Amino acid sequence: MQLHGWEAALFYVLAIMTLFMAVFVVTARVAVHSALFLISTLVNVALLFILLRAEFVAGVQILVYVGGVMVLFLFVIMLVQTRAEEEARVRLYTGQTWPAVIIALLLAMSFYFAMSPAQVAFRPPDTAAVATEPPDSSERATAGAGLNISKDTQEVGEQLYRQAALPFEVASLLLLVAMVGAVLLARGTKQEKLYD
Amino acid sequence: MIGIFSGAFAYLAPILLQAEPSFAKRFEPTLINFLMLSFLLFVVGVAGVLSRRNIIIIFMSIELILNAVNLNLIAFSRYLELNKDALTAKGLAVNPLSGPVFTIFIIVVAAAEAAVGLGIVIAMYRNRETVAIDEIDLLKW
Repeated sequence: MQLHGWEAALFYVLAIMTLFMAVFVVTARVAVHSALFLISTLVNVALLFILLRAEFVAGVQILVYVGGVMVLFLFVIMLVQTRAEEEARVRLYTGQTWPAVIIALLLAMSFYFAMSPAQVAFRPPDTAAVATEPPDSSERATAGAGLNISKDTQEVGEQLYRQAALPFEVASLLLLVAMVGAVLLARGTKQEKLYD
Repeated sequence: MIGIFSGAFAYLAPILLQAEPSFAKRFEPTLINFLMLSFLLFVVGVAGVLSRRNIIIIFMSIELILNAVNLNLIAFSRYLELNKDALTAKGLAVNPLSGPVFTIFIIVVAAAEAAVGLGIVIAMYRNRETVAIDEIDLLKW
């Protein structure tokens, strides 16, 4: 998957934006700022999905995460947070900051040593295969480009309702259970007395 | 800061070491670059989960981790889609669309997890008047 030209530049811009916003999510002092940075991270990841030609997942990401989950987060922050002038004095981190840094460094080391030999293996294998059958891959690329309409949503939908129909139904059941559970957990003593 | 520099080092070292003749071509993102990005996102999320004190920000870090996994799945799916012919010629059965399908299920589970988790946060705030995880230590001995 070699991206060329402006796509490569766009990848680096989006990657750096995503990483900086993620770091800001973790280090922000006020929780609302953290939530806003998380929205920015999620939008950047959605743009990366579009760069990877997964438009449907990008749309779902925007709708579900930015539209649903983050609104939930903001509501809970609004319900729970103390006042902003108190937040200026409160301690941000537990005493676990150094263990966290060490674990992150160990993870980075292990990933580096796992990936540097694999760098060669993740080269696109068609560099060897192109010599034997060159028209095949280029034909697919031009056929997609000629229509100018992405088939991604259609294909994902077919896959979701044919191969993954049972998990799809189970997921809807999971969402129902989560909804009922969240309502039960979040109701106060007044509502409990009202309905018991 | 240390994390950022070590991440940048881990990211740039294999790129600068590889034997590609043209300098600009070395920086064209391949699968490995997406894996690196998703890994760094994952590490930032893990650091947030381990070090922050506010439980809501810990939940946001979990969302970061799940997003890193999603990015990984989509990148592998794109890789399989582009190299499908070469891989099937080698006798491997590839299905590039299972990446997006898994991603959708992960998003569903993340939404359910956020709803239940934030419900727990509200219930806990009602009982203890705090969201700092080191003050919620009833089960600690």
